[in-house]
Amino acid sequence: MASNAAVPFWRAAGMTYITYSNLCANLVRQCLKEPYRSEALTREKVHFSASKWVDGKPEKPTIRSDTGEE
Amino acid sequence: MAMAALRREGRRFAAPLISNNPINPFRSSFAPAEEQALLGVRSISTQIVRNRMRSVKNIQKITKAMKMVAASKLRAIQTRAENSRGLWQPFTALLGDTPSVDVKKNVIVTITSDKGLCGGINSTSVKISRGLRKLNSGPDQESKYVILGEKAKAQLVRDSKKHIELIITELQKNPLNYTQVSVLADDILKNVEYDALRIVFNKFQSVVSFLPTTATVLSPEVVEREAESGGKLGELDSYEIEGGETKSEVLQNLTEFQFSCVMFNAVLENACSEQGARMSAMDSSSRNAGDMLDRLTLAYNRTRQASITTELIEIISGASALQG
Repeated sequence: MASNAAVPFWRAAGMTYITYSNLCANLVRQCLKEPYRSEALTREKVHFSASKWVDGKPEKPTIRSDTGEE
Repeated sequence: MAMAALRREGRRFAAPLISNNPINPFRSSFAPAEEQALLGVRSISTQIVRNRMRSVKNIQKITKAMKMVAASKLRAIQTRAENSRGLWQPFTALLGDTPSVDVKKNVIVTITSDKGLCGGINSTSVKISRGLRKLNSGPDQESKYVILGEKAKAQLVRDSKKHIELIITELQKNPLNYTQVSVLADDILKNVEYDALRIVFNKFQSVVSFLPTTATVLSPEVVEREAESGGKLGELDSYEIEGGETKSEVLQNLTEFQFSCVMFNAVLENACSEQGARMSAMDSSSRNAGDMLDRLTLAYNRTRQASITTELIEIISGASALQG
């Protein structure tokens, strides 16, 4: 159905709109000067632990701690 | 014989220390204390009451401190939550919030806290999630849970193990920010197939009132289907939209962003409600501790006076026995 329209490059690469906007926001934050830059980068820290459940059994939890930590 | 009695005393005082009901265990345990006083083992019973008073006073201090900590955290997060309401309001104006939509795959996202001592808000969220699931369980409908927070995990694992899709914890290690919630939303979108996402959280009305709310986010296909049947979504075509070639692509971007914004607001509001509920829970618990302390003080004075009176009686009767 949408094969005629050109899918944007980020959608073709497998990203969702959310990931795309987060990357753009990260780029904008890195354009700031100190001290605002370090303040803004602390607003980007991600940490949570997600565990997928299959058939009533939990799998090993994966801890996502990235974007600003690594 | 005295040692056995003392041990019995100790155990009877230990049990009420654990239970939450101060009144009845008290009345029953002070009768033996007075018996003990008459038997002559006085200092031990006042000692026990004094210990109890000390521990209750410590608990009162701790709960007062927890209340103040929760109040300061609430102040910090409240302005952010109120500001984040402006993120999803345009989406509701555009795409509507229709909880009564009839879809095949429902995913219920339950947002709760990781820490306890916050009153009953987590139980109400879990109750509503369970109710939503029952409401949406038709012949070919299925509902799955995505759980945020330890408290809902503990409750839902008990009876809905097979319907859980994803569990996320340790969310509040860093202060809440949009990036974290959007990464979370991205994870959910990638791992879970859904027609409608129902987010259950506690909306923060004021420091004492938290309203359990459900926000519904539809998948782009369902939005297209509903748009054809008219209503608010049917007016989508009258908008001129930039940035996308086809309507379905625009809708996909919009629904993803809507989910992320609604999640951000929901997580912030739930955090506010958690702090507010913890404030009121700790406040009522310090008040209860104060009441308990008053009752203990009265009992302590009574016991002390009874022991003094007993000593006086012994002395006087001893003296009169010598004289007579």
